[in-house]
Amino acid sequence: MSAWWLNWLGNKASLTAEQQHRLDTWKSLPRIALDKPFNATRYVVVDVETSGLNLMQDHLISIGAVAVVNGQIALGESFYMVLQQETVSHKENILLHGIGGGAQTGGVPAADALLAFLEYLGKDPLIAFHVTFDQTMIQRAIHQYLGVSFGHAWADMAYLMPAIYPSYASRYRLLDDWITHFNIHNDARHNALSDAMVTAQLFQIALSLVSKKKIADFAGLRDLEKMQRWVSGIS
Amino acid sequence: MTNIHASQLAFFAEHAPFDRMESAHLVWMVERMRLAYYAEGDVIVSPEQNTANRFLVIKQGMVHGEQNVAHAAESDTWLELAEGECFPLGALLAHRPVASIYRAGTDTFCYELPVEDFQTLLGMSAPFSDFCTRRIANLLEHSKQVIQAQYSHSSVEQQSLASPLSALIRREPITCSPQATVREVLQKMHESRIGSMVAVDEVGRPLGILTLPDVLERVALPQTDLDQAVITIMSKQLTTLSPQALAYEAALLMAKQGFRHVLVIENERLIGLVTEKDLFALQRVGLRQIGMTIRHAQHVEALQQAATDIRNMAHNMMAQGVAAEQLTQFISTFNDLLTVRVIELELARSEYNNTPFAECFCWMALGSEGRFEQTLSTDQDNAIIFTVPDGMEANQVRTQLLLIAKRINETLALCGFPLCKGEIMASNPKWCLSLDEWKQAFANWIDHGTPEALLHASIFFDFRSLFGKQELAEELREWLAKVASDNTRFLHQMAENAMRIRPPLGLVRDFVVGKENKLDLKLNGITPFVDAVRIFSLAAGVTHTSTLLRLRASAEKLKIHPSEIEAWLDAFLFIQVLRMRHHDEEKTKGMSEAALNNLIDPEQLNELDRRILKEAFRQARKLQARLSLEYHQ
Repeated sequence: MSAWWLNWLGNKASLTAEQQHRLDTWKSLPRIALDKPFNATRYVVVDVETSGLNLMQDHLISIGAVAVVNGQIALGESFYMVLQQETVSHKENILLHGIGGGAQTGGVPAADALLAFLEYLGKDPLIAFHVTFDQTMIQRAIHQYLGVSFGHAWADMAYLMPAIYPSYASRYRLLDDWITHFNIHNDARHNALSDAMVTAQLFQIALSLVSKKKIADFAGLRDLEKMQRWVSGIS
Repeated sequence: MTNIHASQLAFFAEHAPFDRMESAHLVWMVERMRLAYYAEGDVIVSPEQNTANRFLVIKQGMVHGEQNVAHAAESDTWLELAEGECFPLGALLAHRPVASIYRAGTDTFCYELPVEDFQTLLGMSAPFSDFCTRRIANLLEHSKQVIQAQYSHSSVEQQSLASPLSALIRREPITCSPQATVREVLQKMHESRIGSMVAVDEVGRPLGILTLPDVLERVALPQTDLDQAVITIMSKQLTTLSPQALAYEAALLMAKQGFRHVLVIENERLIGLVTEKDLFALQRVGLRQIGMTIRHAQHVEALQQAATDIRNMAHNMMAQGVAAEQLTQFISTFNDLLTVRVIELELARSEYNNTPFAECFCWMALGSEGRFEQTLSTDQDNAIIFTVPDGMEANQVRTQLLLIAKRINETLALCGFPLCKGEIMASNPKWCLSLDEWKQAFANWIDHGTPEALLHASIFFDFRSLFGKQELAEELREWLAKVASDNTRFLHQMAENAMRIRPPLGLVRDFVVGKENKLDLKLNGITPFVDAVRIFSLAAGVTHTSTLLRLRASAEKLKIHPSEIEAWLDAFLFIQVLRMRHHDEEKTKGMSEAALNNLIDPEQLNELDRRILKEAFRQARKLQARLSLEYHQ
């Protein structure tokens, strides 16, 4: 088993010709303009399941994603994939996300799963709650298995929501706080697809509200997020 | 590849009709759906948007349908949809814009399916298609909502006439004992500032009423002894309705009888009083007001104005989605009042006024007017029945009556009832007959059963008295009920004749249409019902003339289940409404009263109405099948 840092230091991932072709095709997709109005943009809301919460040591188990197309969640376009694991994660971890050992080792080979995710994503902006965690996990896996760095536009609901609702900012920290507040049903919390779904619903609520504040595109969302990061930093 | 989380499917599995759909169809549907979010107050669908373009299921939240499109600010909610409910089915099925504004009542998430996929799903999944299109009653309900909403622009003020009287009663009635003195009662009326007092017995049953206008006439002018029991001077002619009766029924009663009060009675006990004033707020032009105008009209001009008011009011009632039964009843009531006033005026102008001669005849309504089923474009169908005073010949009486009848027919024509092209009018010597002559004519038709006799029977056997010596018409009716029910050969001939007109259902297409792809709603829609029911009622010796009452009264003898009877009547009434709507639309487009017809192009109907019409014709077929069973040769 190769140590994670060997990959991190630049071990070239070995891809088949077909995999390399898929990766190149994705890379060659044009960048998405970030000033397109919300009702003419596709966003991908993502959530991941991992073997643990350590950003540097734990690894990616599954990716769940939901597409918000022109403000609406396209149910037929949701994405969920379990990555084939070299080792099964600890028992406590299994209990948390519910993906058993059999499912973990029986998943899709990691490179294929990640390529499928990239193809699903295209170059559309990504949305998550606590971006740092999802972003790092996905970046590391892509670097490890596909050998490229994954620089992509993200927006973080964990900062956007307090920016939109300053009065709740100090009380609500977690995804659960917000979905409870808006009474959004989630009957399978901690499943990546289910969590992506409720995050997407939260995103829809956010879009409806920021539209009334004259914020009309992704660039505006990121400005709002930056401002909130600064406010959180000093408070 | 698609991944639908089990929880999405679990949601659908909990709600009709999805719970009965095959899982493959359900997955097919969910894959094509989008989840949309609407903040509280956001408009989800509105009539300004084009043809309804998506099928919505509420995942979470609440959606309000608002009827009053014209005055959005003061709009009232008439529909509240909750989690798991679907909309807007009517508009989707009919390929048209929605008729109401659908607005998020709280923060709401809706699953949305594009209309093309909705249509595909209808064809694919039987439970889904059943749910969306099931049962005529369900469809009629949709249709009614659509009509109400379509007309709501013009009839905002009229809407509450459809509310039940129980909603209009504002307080417990103030009552007195019948033995209270006139003085006590007047004192109490003055103190309580009420315009009327009802005397009730120990258990609350009303016995009599005294109103302020009565005080002048019954107390002040005759200088009544104020210490006598009030009941002696009270009016005992009480107009009563149940609390479930609708406001317009009270308005209609007031118009018909000229009273200002209607007593609301439950289990014989007085529970409230509805006055003209209570109703006045609900209507721009009061029904009673039109009634008063007609009753007191001195010139034909005033009656012409009243005829216009009647038509406008009918338009408004149609707008409220008032059922065909009540609508035709309304039209008949006012047309009767109008006709009676025309006769009174013409009689007063004639030299026979206040002579015994004016008392010797009865004016009869025939055909649809006789059946209380007039629409707004109905030719005159009338006749006279008279007695021959001692020392006179029938022909002498006839000559005199024809002069008045001619004037009456012409005045009625001025008031919007076109002269009958077939000359079936009281001014035709053939139809101005003595009681004996009528019996002879009827007997002749019954005996011979020629095509002409059968045609006449279908018009004249629906007679009823409208003005004058009604005993004559009643005697003729009793006689006919007996003679016709005994004559099975004649009933067979009538049945055979009635079967010639078949409801125009097609094997290949939905409808068999005539020239120019038109369907005659009267000939092919109404007539099969009316004809069959006339035969049933003649056979059963029923003396009613309206198709509804005839069928209900014949039901027992025919041993037909009441639910079947009601299905037939629903179908009949739907076609009636369709006819009236057709007339109303044509008139709005500027077509003259005389040019109105009953021809519609079924292709022009919306999907929903077409489906109901088809179902209505099927009911007509069932009715005919029943007729053929009774009168199988």
